[in-house]
Amino acid sequence: MEQVFAYPAKWWSEAVTVWLVVAVVIYVIVAIPGLYFIMKYRFKPGEREIGDHEKHGHWGLEALWTIVPTIIVLVLATYSFAVFKKQRTAPPDAMTIKVTGFMWGWQTEYLDEKGNTIKTVVTSFNPTSYEVPEDQKIVVPAGKPVKALLTSLDVIHSFYVMPARITEDMVPGRITHLWFQINKPGEYWIFCREFCGTGHSHMFTKLKVVPPEQFALWLKGETNLADKSSQIKGNL
Amino acid sequence: MREAISVPYFGASLKEWLFTTDHKKIGILYLTTSYIFFLVAGLFGLIIRLEQTSPGIQYVQPDFYNYLLTGHGAVLLLWWAIASHIGGFGNFLLPLMIGAKDVAFPRLNALSWWAFFGASVLVLLTLIPGNHIKMMWTGYPPYSTTGDAGVTALYVFIIHLIGVSSIATAVNFITTYIKMRAPGINFWNTNMFVHCLIAANVIQLVGVPSLAGAVTMLLLDKYLGTNFYNPTKGGDPLLYQNVFWFYSHPVVYVQILPVFGFFSELVPTFARRPLFGYKTMIFAVWGITLLSFMVWIHHMFVSGVPDWARVIMSYTTILIAVPTGIKIFNWMGTLHGGAIILRSPMLYALGGIFMFLIGGLTGIPNSMVAIDLGISDSLFIVGHFHYVLGMALTLGLFGAIIYWFPKMTGRMYPEGLGKLSFWLTFIGANLFYFFQMVVGMLGNPRRYPDYPPIPEWVTLHQIQTLGALILGLGVLVFTIGIIKGLLSGEKAPDNPWQSQSLEWRIPSPAPVDNFGEEHPKVEPDYHPYKYGAPPAF
Repeated sequence: MEQVFAYPAKWWSEAVTVWLVVAVVIYVIVAIPGLYFIMKYRFKPGEREIGDHEKHGHWGLEALWTIVPTIIVLVLATYSFAVFKKQRTAPPDAMTIKVTGFMWGWQTEYLDEKGNTIKTVVTSFNPTSYEVPEDQKIVVPAGKPVKALLTSLDVIHSFYVMPARITEDMVPGRITHLWFQINKPGEYWIFCREFCGTGHSHMFTKLKVVPPEQFALWLKGETNLADKSSQIKGNL
Repeated sequence: MREAISVPYFGASLKEWLFTTDHKKIGILYLTTSYIFFLVAGLFGLIIRLEQTSPGIQYVQPDFYNYLLTGHGAVLLLWWAIASHIGGFGNFLLPLMIGAKDVAFPRLNALSWWAFFGASVLVLLTLIPGNHIKMMWTGYPPYSTTGDAGVTALYVFIIHLIGVSSIATAVNFITTYIKMRAPGINFWNTNMFVHCLIAANVIQLVGVPSLAGAVTMLLLDKYLGTNFYNPTKGGDPLLYQNVFWFYSHPVVYVQILPVFGFFSELVPTFARRPLFGYKTMIFAVWGITLLSFMVWIHHMFVSGVPDWARVIMSYTTILIAVPTGIKIFNWMGTLHGGAIILRSPMLYALGGIFMFLIGGLTGIPNSMVAIDLGISDSLFIVGHFHYVLGMALTLGLFGAIIYWFPKMTGRMYPEGLGKLSFWLTFIGANLFYFFQMVVGMLGNPRRYPDYPPIPEWVTLHQIQTLGALILGLGVLVFTIGIIKGLLSGEKAPDNPWQSQSLEWRIPSPAPVDNFGEEHPKVEPDYHPYKYGAPPAF
């Protein structure tokens, strides 16, 4: 079986493919005849000076291009509904982290079973580069679903886990959520995508995905993951 | 021989222009103002584009970049995309197309214009460095209530003045259409532009108060200490988004419907054939109007609203594809069996329809909530709405400007410059916005002056900048064409395009008193798209 890289990115990519196929087919069905008509039915003095002025419409055709698109879009929406349910429902064995956005960085808390914070990582604002210090990266285990509870300290931010293709806003006064699972260890981008002021484009961090054993050690504070063997460069 | 005694409407003193209540003069005032604002906001856009050509901060600091983005969005949406065709073309054409002397309330019309003028002055005030607004045209709280956001009050007053102007215009136009039609003009032989204009104004009338309420609460929150949107005192920032988008989504149909109207006027005229499916077109327009108020949550698919609300609005949103699809199919049906003349207005109309086709198909993933979770607030959405609202709308407007230029100025727009500007604009825009969507699909967030140096992203941004420069050149050529046409354009005949529509029966430029009597005589079988005879050219 092929190794799945990340959830819910897998379902998201499938949905994008479905849309792209439908869109290209519709595009070809409309644009090719359209271009052909423009070429064929050209005004020619003395030869073709008036268009077909008897035909004002065609009820059958008009009904056809009302009913068929209605069916297509309802099928697409229902399919998207099914995918959406999977995207929004974290598997029961998911571990929970709590991420709080602020202008312009993140605070990530790791919770135990009772919901107590056992470790906190703060990513601070870096206005000049896209480098993240090793101890400011959000670390998660590979191959394990992670549910993120999101909120904000000041204005609305958002949490975009790029490899998982999932976004949710961080709204002050509310707790929102998303979940993701990355199967391949490496480092990946996280961005804020909701406009939040001067530092918006530098509100980012790296998601460091490590094998579960290393994650357990890191959570207990027994490794800082800084040794070369655990660093795998990824850029997706 | 009315030509001999006809006095053009613009042959008036400066004082007359200032105190005018004439719908044609007011239309020209609107159109000129919004075109100048379009050029300035377009320049803002070009700077935004140049800044993103490579990673890092090149030309403008993030704060100024945010001001440019806010100005670009607000001005193009409210001036170019609304005022130009509702205030501009709507004023100029509505009475002419329905055979009336003027709008129903000419003085209210002047009030609309002056409120709009006031808003324009306030926009100019934001150019002063201390007055920058940096919260994006959406102005989401709590950010917009912080000091970092700039002068929120100016934004609120701009929206209020524009709102007064819009509501007055909507009341005026709807009344005009109901009460002032010439005998013989009825619902089933009205121009599609008028149908679209009236539908757009119904949306304005229902929606604008909602936006005005949203920004009024913002003003009270920021300056008078109320807490509508303050989560620490029991308010809710999502309340703003709901009330804001309740109007601000339907407004995209206010912006695009009159452009559908332009396409529906231009395509039959240059295909020398009746508009295909005229009646289904009318149903499609009103279907869009009705649905437009049921879809606003698709702007908030990742905002934290309940999942069931997202699913319901996902269905309603995707249904809008049906009436818009009908319109595209009908334009294609009009081309079939036509005798197509590819003059520059027709090129613009066909280019606009082509852009709208891509824009419509790339709108579908934004309505499919499952895909939207991955592309929300990325450059994909920016590319998408620049296809629909950016370019389909601008190409439609450019086509309309060339098409009605003779009736407005008495001169023809230079055909060569029209064709040249079309190809530049069309190629540049596609190069620009298509690759903007691609980089957005790859994950690039929107509203970023700086981004990490990911190699594919950098390449895609460079292609976009190339496209933007070609697009800018196209707009420049088009503008030169307007100036050249005004100064030395060929003198226009009364009906240069051999249109069947009512507004072409009067001399070019339009005389002061339109039809010279209360109403023109309209034959019993009048129809604006009755193309049965060969054109006389």
